[in-house]
Amino acid sequence: MFNTVEVLAHGLSATRLRVNVLSSNLANAETTRTESGGPYKRKDVVQMAHGAQGSFSTALDRMTLSQPSIAAVIEDQSEARQVYQPGHPDADDSGYVAYPNINMVSTMTDLMSASRLYQANVTALETVRKMSQDAQQISTRA
Amino acid sequence: MKIFDSQFDGLQKALELSWRRNEAITSNISNAETPQYRAVDLNFAGELDRAMLGKPSEVIKTNEKHLDISDNHLAHLAPDLSGATKPDGNNVDIDIQMGRLAYNSGKYAMNTSIMRKKFQFLYNAIRQTA
Repeated sequence: MFNTVEVLAHGLSATRLRVNVLSSNLANAETTRTESGGPYKRKDVVQMAHGAQGSFSTALDRMTLSQPSIAAVIEDQSEARQVYQPGHPDADDSGYVAYPNINMVSTMTDLMSASRLYQANVTALETVRKMSQDAQQISTRA
Repeated sequence: MKIFDSQFDGLQKALELSWRRNEAITSNISNAETPQYRAVDLNFAGELDRAMLGKPSEVIKTNEKHLDISDNHLAHLAPDLSGATKPDGNNVDIDIQMGRLAYNSGKYAMNTSIMRKKFQFLYNAIRQTA
């Protein structure tokens, strides 16, 4: 049971981190100045699956589960979006301001799909809880 | 008459297999958006029959020094090809998996309640109460 719960917990944690990164992108869609200089750079998560810890017998029975984890959060290296705004304090000599490369529509859809996945993980966790409760009730009378 | 008949063995095995299938389903749900993840399902063909009918293992020892693996599980995780592969290499169909989750947990609940009833019958017989 705890194996299943752990896989789901990793799913929740990875999805939450993705939501955090996506919200950070959304919030900084218009940020033209950062501490490291230049506009905000879009961040992307690299999610991967790796075999969950299990006993020798799980491996022997070919029952090793995969749990998701965030391998890295990387910064987008593409060219910044150039907008002509001569009066802007961050404008360059020719009057262009560098804005982060963030597509609002795709960020919002990613955010929605991540939040749905989070809900799916919670539902699965709730099911596991219910199933173990069912198992405990085998020994109760009435 | 045996107190614990072969139905107990069958129910016990059915519960165990449902539980393990649930593990496969939750792994798929958890990894529904992990690139390159391939969906899995529990392949338990034969294992339930073996428990219900008390069939012996088909593994034959040809040397007395061989390890006894007749009690080993036949069930194992196998690739699940029910969903289409997405551009990122992931083939989990979240709707199919959620449906399976509901179906599987319903089956588990049914089996636990049958088992509970069977124990209740035994208890009533022992206590001579209706």
